[in-house]
Amino acid sequence: MKRSIFSYLVNRILLYVLIFLISLSAFFFFINLVPGDPVTRYIQMLEQRYGLSTPASEIVIQKYKEVFGLDKGLFERYVSYMKRLILHQDFGPSFVAFPKPAIELILESLPWSVGLLGTSVIIAWLLGVILGTIVGWTRESKISSTVFTTGLVISQIPTYLLAIILVMVFTFWLNLFPMGGAYSAILQRSFSLRFILSLIKHAFLPSLSLIFVYVFGTMISQRALVISVLGEDYIKLAEAKGLKSSRLINRYILRNTLLPQTTGLALSLGFIVNGFFLIEWIFNYPGIGRLFMMGIREMDYNVLMGITVTTMFCVLTANLIIEFLYPLIDPRIRRG
Amino acid sequence: MKKILLIFKYSPKLTVGVIILLFLILLALLEPTINYYRLGGRSSTEIGLFDTFLPPSREHPFGTEAYGRDVFSLLLTGLKYSLLIGFTAGALATLIAVVLASIAGYKGGRIEAFITTIANAILIIPSWPILAIIVLFVRKVDLLLLSAILAFFSWAGSSRQIKAQIASLRERPYIDLARVTGFSDLEIMFKEILPNFLPYIFVGFSYSVTGTIMAETALRLVGLGPGDIPSLGQFINWAIYSGTLAQGHYLIVISPITFLILTFVSLNLINVGLDEVFNPRLRQVTGV
Repeated sequence: MKRSIFSYLVNRILLYVLIFLISLSAFFFFINLVPGDPVTRYIQMLEQRYGLSTPASEIVIQKYKEVFGLDKGLFERYVSYMKRLILHQDFGPSFVAFPKPAIELILESLPWSVGLLGTSVIIAWLLGVILGTIVGWTRESKISSTVFTTGLVISQIPTYLLAIILVMVFTFWLNLFPMGGAYSAILQRSFSLRFILSLIKHAFLPSLSLIFVYVFGTMISQRALVISVLGEDYIKLAEAKGLKSSRLINRYILRNTLLPQTTGLALSLGFIVNGFFLIEWIFNYPGIGRLFMMGIREMDYNVLMGITVTTMFCVLTANLIIEFLYPLIDPRIRRG
Repeated sequence: MKKILLIFKYSPKLTVGVIILLFLILLALLEPTINYYRLGGRSSTEIGLFDTFLPPSREHPFGTEAYGRDVFSLLLTGLKYSLLIGFTAGALATLIAVVLASIAGYKGGRIEAFITTIANAILIIPSWPILAIIVLFVRKVDLLLLSAILAFFSWAGSSRQIKAQIASLRERPYIDLARVTGFSDLEIMFKEILPNFLPYIFVGFSYSVTGTIMAETALRLVGLGPGDIPSLGQFINWAIYSGTLAQGHYLIVISPITFLILTFVSLNLINVGLDEVFNPRLRQVTGV
């Protein structure tokens, strides 16, 4: 029995390492085969933006290219990039704050993103599962079908558009919530009540724009799962045996919907992160989404590449953690 | 014909979805005509055609925006381009998805495992930053190239939708019958399986359309992508960067957002409606 869990876990880890390496390599080659190199492009952009007429001197460009390792061939560059990445977790220097390494900028903003996103996703998922179970269980009532139809509409709103609406209503119109930042600029970072309240106040709207949409998204899939489980014969038998509804829901329905629902969460994480980049940008929240937009404005190749690799790594790790939970949820995997 | 009407009667969600979507498509198709008459042959994106921030009136039903352009005309143009990109990329993605899902669902085994792994990898990985970097660094992005890039990242979702259906079709007896009769794999795929999952192909298609319009809007919102294609995302970008919100002209931001949400909601209602009509198991259980 132990061996089967072990081989399951090793299998999963290998799969994720493989996915990570393949997508990373594919992305690296694609972006490097696009004509033009980041340094030349960066200098062109500076010339255009500030109207500098002095063409950047060849020596400077050459120097930059050496620092960024652009003077070598494509394959050589790939090997050295991967080596630096895997052995030293180094993405090279950034343009945004040259010569500060890109990885430092990323590590400074990553905790904000992971904290806000993680909390919001867990809240949304739990609420969605609970709401979906209730709506599925009482599927014949009027209220249930109204909630379902409302959910169909709301779950289709992209989180970043909802974020714009929320900013418009609560920040510009009603002036209830602050615009931008993770905490009030006049406060020092500390464990005081005032600081924590300020943190919550600043995180409220960004996380609401995510939670509001995903509660209904999860509710809809949970409702469908509950309804399909309700059609099974063992539920009829359990009902005929006279089991209490609470036991029926906990032991029969939730238990059987948990696995596909967890898989659903794992598969939608990437999509949620996509929208989160824009949410951070809209609320000026100091996470990697905002750093990414700064990188786009400055055409900062190393920062952009680094953020992409980091988010890829984080999302894959989150998926792996979820897959590690499977044996706990489903005894069939546990026993091989 | 009668059968089609029956289907609509059967699912109000499908009916509402189809009506909204057709209305939006009609608006997009009529855009050149309407804007020609409203603006006298000038482009809806031309700067300084009218005064800035005029309130809604009979002449300008949604008012004018920060650069003196008519909001209603801009909305129609934006809708046209958003739908055009969405449908082009959606069709491309569906084509890829159908071909790969057919092969995976029908052949099974290792080939299926391989395709599923690739599709899952694309689904799991946060694709928007990759998309943004590609669009940023590829210098000339036109409508077709943009659609192709968007399609590459969105086929996986619809392939997942379609594949689950084919897997169940594979087990049905009439497929075995066809196989015994000596039909080739290709014949079985196109003559027996394809007609039976047309509704599911549409479901896959509308997933891709939603996904690609969402991704495109997100790109344009932050100022990436082809500046000469004024889609709804580009319109919101103009509005945000011209300080429209700070000056309290909320209608200018709300209207393109409403058009986008209507598009997504109508496509989803059609999906749910098709599922209600063509998925007998769900019908039986829910008793709708």
